[in-house]
Amino acid sequence: MPSGRRLSVCLIALAGALAVAGSAGAQSDRLEGPLIRPAVSSKDPRDLSGVWFIRSYNRQINATTGRVPDLTPLGKAERDKRVQAEKDGMPIADASAYCWPHGVPRVMNSPYPIQIIQKPGETLIVHEVAHNVRHIYMDVPHSNPVKTAFMGESVGHWEGDTLGVDHRTGIDEVRLIHGPKLHTIERIRKVEDGHALENQVFIEDPDYYPHPWYMRDTYAWRPDLRIAEYSCEENNRNAPVNGHTVAK
Amino acid sequence: MSRGEVTKMSIRSLAAAGALALVLGASGAVAQPFYKAPPAQDWDGMWQIQNAPEALRTADGKAPPMTAEAAKIYKAHLAARKAGKPAFDTIQQCMPHGFPRILTANYPIEIFMEPKQVTFIHEVHHFPRLVFLDAQPVKAEDRDQNWMGFSTGKWEGDTLVVFTAGVNDKTVLGTAGLPHTTDLEVTEHIRKTDADTLEDLVTYHDPKMYSKDWSTRLTYKRLPAGTRMAEYVCTDENPEIEAPTKTASK
Repeated sequence: MPSGRRLSVCLIALAGALAVAGSAGAQSDRLEGPLIRPAVSSKDPRDLSGVWFIRSYNRQINATTGRVPDLTPLGKAERDKRVQAEKDGMPIADASAYCWPHGVPRVMNSPYPIQIIQKPGETLIVHEVAHNVRHIYMDVPHSNPVKTAFMGESVGHWEGDTLGVDHRTGIDEVRLIHGPKLHTIERIRKVEDGHALENQVFIEDPDYYPHPWYMRDTYAWRPDLRIAEYSCEENNRNAPVNGHTVAK
Repeated sequence: MSRGEVTKMSIRSLAAAGALALVLGASGAVAQPFYKAPPAQDWDGMWQIQNAPEALRTADGKAPPMTAEAAKIYKAHLAARKAGKPAFDTIQQCMPHGFPRILTANYPIEIFMEPKQVTFIHEVHHFPRLVFLDAQPVKAEDRDQNWMGFSTGKWEGDTLVVFTAGVNDKTVLGTAGLPHTTDLEVTEHIRKTDADTLEDLVTYHDPKMYSKDWSTRLTYKRLPAGTRMAEYVCTDENPEIEAPTKTASK
């Protein structure tokens, strides 16, 4: 289906969203024909540069166990509050509803392409969604204290052929239930002979989760895509009202 | 043989071999074969505009060659700014600066050089600008508009020539409010004039607003090594978080 490759990014995003309802894993991500980049990412396991597209996007918390992780009483209360708000048709607005940066790990789980760019001191991730930009500083310790910011602070280093990223935040304005103590460790590596990227995210926040848990995302190599402009600020149909996302 | 020479040699052999990892003894860090542009084309790092202009002038210091229509709009914009009600200025509502206005924003820019793409990450409004070196230029009439347009570039010697078209007409060329239409096509000649200076000669083509093409010269200086990009979030109505991050956080 050669015309399939020429779909606009909007349609691809839509397809990504639809895949949630169906089987996300069934999405074909091995493309043929004229491409922007080679059909498979480079043979170097540490060369992650290029465009990738999540294929395991899931609105639910995406634990490897396939279920919602255990919550502390505080976490459970927060979850119940959110579930009730959704039932009432008044979802609690998160940062993305305001067009603010999505935070980590949430930004790694959006149905839009990402582009990784690597330099000696930094690994950069350009997210199409809401023009989020994630800076991962390489081979340096965290700042003390970590500055409060939506995107927190990510530091990374290579462990063999796996990029380890330690992330701390300081803010609780993201979709995943958590507080300022959130700490994540991501293990990002190429799998499937360079056709895919795997991110195992270790998540801990003792206030909300009685024990740490993992989520796992995979991303397809997308040699046919460029990151497009995403302007959340313009015509934000989900602009919150009194802290709630209201359909307009 | 000094350590520097060893590293240089290793990188060269890496480029040849293409794949092997390089272990740097001192830091214990595992390096990888990054793309490193030749020095005159290597703009990797953090930069910031110098003497960010409010009212753009031509490269020889003159007023831009406005048509009567542009002059009328510009006059109204100047008056609105003076009156403190610059409704034309979309960044007041946290809309993107758009291209080419973002070029003159007085905030850091982080540049990432790659063989097929030059990426500019603007701190202001955390907006990326991607310049594709492997794509065909698109004329203004051949695409839908957005805030940043579509940018393609090619090297002419050590000057990157970037062509951008397809911008919407909600933005202005600079803070003062020089107008443009969706016909706007911008050609930039970007080059390093010394190790720490980038020059961008920006040429505007928009016949409805300017009787002839005109250029302005922008200069960017390298920021000190280790400078990190701050998180800039444009909002003044954030009920959830504390004051320091309410507006442009530094």
